[in-house]
Amino acid sequence: MTLRVLDVRGRKVAIAEAGQGRPVVYLHGFADVHAVAADFQPFHQALAEKFHLIAPAHPGLNGSDELSDGWSINDIAFHYLEVFDALGLEQFDLIGHCVGGWIAAELAVRHPERIRSLTLIGACGLFVAGQPTADIFMHAQPERGVDYATLRNLLFSGSNSAAALRWYPNGRGDLDEETRRYQMLRFGSFMGFRPPYFYDRALVDRLHRARMPSLVLWGESDHMVPSTHGAAYANGLPVCSGLKIIPGAGHAIPLEFPAPTANECISFLARPS
Amino acid sequence: MASPVQLYCWHFMSYPYLAPDFDETNDTGWVTVPNSLWDRDKARGLYQQYIDQLAYADEIGFDGMVLNEHHQTIYGLGPSPNLVAAALTQKTRNGKIIILGNLLPLHMNPLRVAEEYAMLDNMSDGRIIAGFAPGSGPETFNYNIASAPSREQFWEAVDLIRRAWTQPGPFNYEGKNYPLRYVNPWPQPTQRPHPPIWIPGARSKDTLVQIAKHGYCYFLSSRSHGKETAKSVNQFAKVLEQYGSSYRPNRMGILMSCYVGETDKQAQEEAKDGIWYFLKNCLKGHQRREGRQLTFGPGVPYIPSDEFRDYLKFSDPTVPLLGDTQDWDDLQRSQSIIVGSPDTVYQRFMEILEHAPVGHLLIQFHLGNMKDELTRKSMRLFATEVAPRLREASAKQFGRDFPEIETTGLETVK
Repeated sequence: MTLRVLDVRGRKVAIAEAGQGRPVVYLHGFADVHAVAADFQPFHQALAEKFHLIAPAHPGLNGSDELSDGWSINDIAFHYLEVFDALGLEQFDLIGHCVGGWIAAELAVRHPERIRSLTLIGACGLFVAGQPTADIFMHAQPERGVDYATLRNLLFSGSNSAAALRWYPNGRGDLDEETRRYQMLRFGSFMGFRPPYFYDRALVDRLHRARMPSLVLWGESDHMVPSTHGAAYANGLPVCSGLKIIPGAGHAIPLEFPAPTANECISFLARPS
Repeated sequence: MASPVQLYCWHFMSYPYLAPDFDETNDTGWVTVPNSLWDRDKARGLYQQYIDQLAYADEIGFDGMVLNEHHQTIYGLGPSPNLVAAALTQKTRNGKIIILGNLLPLHMNPLRVAEEYAMLDNMSDGRIIAGFAPGSGPETFNYNIASAPSREQFWEAVDLIRRAWTQPGPFNYEGKNYPLRYVNPWPQPTQRPHPPIWIPGARSKDTLVQIAKHGYCYFLSSRSHGKETAKSVNQFAKVLEQYGSSYRPNRMGILMSCYVGETDKQAQEEAKDGIWYFLKNCLKGHQRREGRQLTFGPGVPYIPSDEFRDYLKFSDPTVPLLGDTQDWDDLQRSQSIIVGSPDTVYQRFMEILEHAPVGHLLIQFHLGNMKDELTRKSMRLFATEVAPRLREASAKQFGRDFPEIETTGLETVK
């Protein structure tokens, strides 16, 4: 993997890249590359064996500058259009996880002509009445100053899962990892907090514009974004392979269940067109 | 003679009727503490009692009364401190009324704050001190304020209000967050150029820079006082010098809590119920490790990430907070809640002032579920037996350490 800093109209954007072939852009989530891990994990590495995987860090994370002005989902969409322009990416496959999935969906309804296929993994972004995305900000405040059990439960299959304990341990973790976790929460607070909360009410009625082939992947027990959101995406996207559930998994399936998640993505991307 | 330390009575207006097992049965006193615990019958007359205590402070010679804004918490029943301030304008004649402060990012239009403070300044004949605060963690949750952009919104709101009081209207304000075509509030404040502006701060250098640049008063929003308080004075003094000013005691205030009794033993005996109610219940969710502290941390990311990284480097998440206090010795060490005879309280306050020469002491007398008669007795003993000595000694100390005040008088904080 290489990590480089791209200049996008005066803004620094950190780009992680690996592999060769068809360009596949990956927009990350909370428990993910850039947002806690400095570099690619087994899920990303598996994709990079088949494709040219390009994963920009969201504004403010892992070497990317914060935006100086404007943090609405529209501003973020334009930020990424400028990133893709700077990368010279005309057409590409797009995968987004969690907040990255929301951004991916917003890009797909704006510029369907640039996106060959859309894969959403535990994506927020939709308003589903009575089924809110969980309050990650509340759970990011540790109990007794040191205990992140409820945050781990939100992001993973359970608070004692090995991946959860590796990336969100109790007490002070690795300084760089903690800083990236904070940067991701700050990004989420900027772009996803208002209107409440990690959604765009208008998005569901715009999904019909995303006419590229699409796949929706969800963990069986996602405690962060209810699987009803996955069903709503699968229902609204016009050329969707359906909602695929990873058994036994929580929210951050790329980190916790890398092999089945990568296999689903790869077989979807490699399907005969 | 230099001006003495100014002594204010701060009332947090806590909810005092929780059951004795509240701490065992509830995980927080903030944001999600169930309001089914509010007892409508017992609560009748509560605001009146608290307002009367503040009016009593004015009557017995405190320099002012302090109010603040909190939402959805047993810690403070003041979602709208301006309402209490309005009552005080009619019930008091002398003291300053310090609102510390309105939480500006919670207002869709900060002009409303400019208007209400100007009304209060007129209604009190120029006795308002205008505090502005950005809010912190709890507001993220109780008012759905996004933490990350809240600091920028806050400073723009302060700028708008200051202009609304000083720049002839109507004018067009081209703010990023609060664009307004016609800024022209009626009334204007009584005080010229405007009521003194106080801003709380603790961790952020940026806050000190803004305070220094604009000539505001710095309120250190910390509840514990030791070496850190002196460090904060020095840090602020350095920033003031960078901006062409210099430190004077009247540029800075701190919060203390206190109970005065006839003797140390009697004071402890009388204060203990209120103090432990305050520490265990009111601070749960705020200044206590038990439960989930909401005031500061990764879930309320209002400071930039490089500042948070420094905080991570130099802090220890297992260090007890004020609410984790176990016994009187612990409490003594925190230098936050001073309990004792008039002699003891005088000495403990002077120890703090000698290390941290601040010109404004904002003192909380009512703690937790403290009874009305005890609260008033403690205030009275303070006013009659502690305050005169503190005033005399502090005037001497400030005159000695800041000789330029002798000739120029107490410079006005804008």
